[in-house]
Amino acid sequence: MYALTCKNAVRAGVMALLLFFNVTFAAQAERKTITGEVMDTWCYVSQIMGGSDFVVGTTHHVCAVWCAAGGIPVGLLDKSDGQIYMIMSNGDDTTNVANQALLDIQSHEITVEGSVYELDGIKYLMIDKVMDDKGVTNLTHKVVGILPAEAHP
Amino acid sequence: MKNMKIIFSALSIAVLLGFSINAYAAKSWGVTNEVKAKFTGTVVDIACELTGNCPDNCGAGSRQLGLQTNDQGLILVAKNLTLYTGAAEELYDFCGQEIEVDGLFTENRNVRFFQVQNMRAIGGKWAKATRFHKAWAEKNDTKPRKAKRWYRKDERVKTIIERDGYLGLGLDKDTEYFGN
Repeated sequence: MYALTCKNAVRAGVMALLLFFNVTFAAQAERKTITGEVMDTWCYVSQIMGGSDFVVGTTHHVCAVWCAAGGIPVGLLDKSDGQIYMIMSNGDDTTNVANQALLDIQSHEITVEGSVYELDGIKYLMIDKVMDDKGVTNLTHKVVGILPAEAHP
Repeated sequence: MKNMKIIFSALSIAVLLGFSINAYAAKSWGVTNEVKAKFTGTVVDIACELTGNCPDNCGAGSRQLGLQTNDQGLILVAKNLTLYTGAAEELYDFCGQEIEVDGLFTENRNVRFFQVQNMRAIGGKWAKATRFHKAWAEKNDTKPRKAKRWYRKDERVKTIIERDGYLGLGLDKDTEYFGN
């Protein structure tokens, strides 16, 4: 009788743990290596300053710094297919609002390894490591100037 | 004359009432695939939902927040009402609570997220999503009215521009492009 009760208690414990992890970790992670531009997601998606292709690179560098410092989600724009990943952590640093390390590499072309979670239509990226940083390589200012106009010296 | 006074008073009240209702209705920003929306959801820390790493109080402004809804899943709240600012500062006080929000969805290139313009606890009073200015002013020891153009004064921003220039390519490239 005692053994039976113990077995049931263990079973209940395991079930509770499974339920807990099922509920807490709703999304499954996929390991990925991504090369792309660190970017301002609000201006890119909303196109409030102009077309998405114009609010990246040097044209939009200062605005991207403003938006990152102001707490707008920072994204990584995949160079290979244009997919946007919302950056949710950078190494051990889980601050994803105005993260200083991300502020410092706004508009840079980087290659990262990390975990991607897809939840309700958005891809979220937890960066494990920045493998390469080429700096700002997207010289959009030569084509479209500076956007917005107030992001000018 | 008495009738005129009554009509004038009634009209004034109607205008004031209309204004106070409209003051908390979402306004268009002309964003791509814009949809005005008012809905309820529970304020959650997105990284916590994904990984189980959950600081107190949804990170108290250090974590991107979303609204967990019954019918639309998890909605990322990317923006508030002030210039160049996100929504974490507006929402973290409501961590774990169901709130009502009014604002805009924008959708483009496979991403759909929300700009909160007004919010309230269920049954509470509406407030505009402009708390960022107050929070920035407190952190920078100044008055909220002086925080409207915070992005011109923010020390983190100034340091980056002084180091990397307006193009992000270094000061020499700035001089080449903008002149002295």
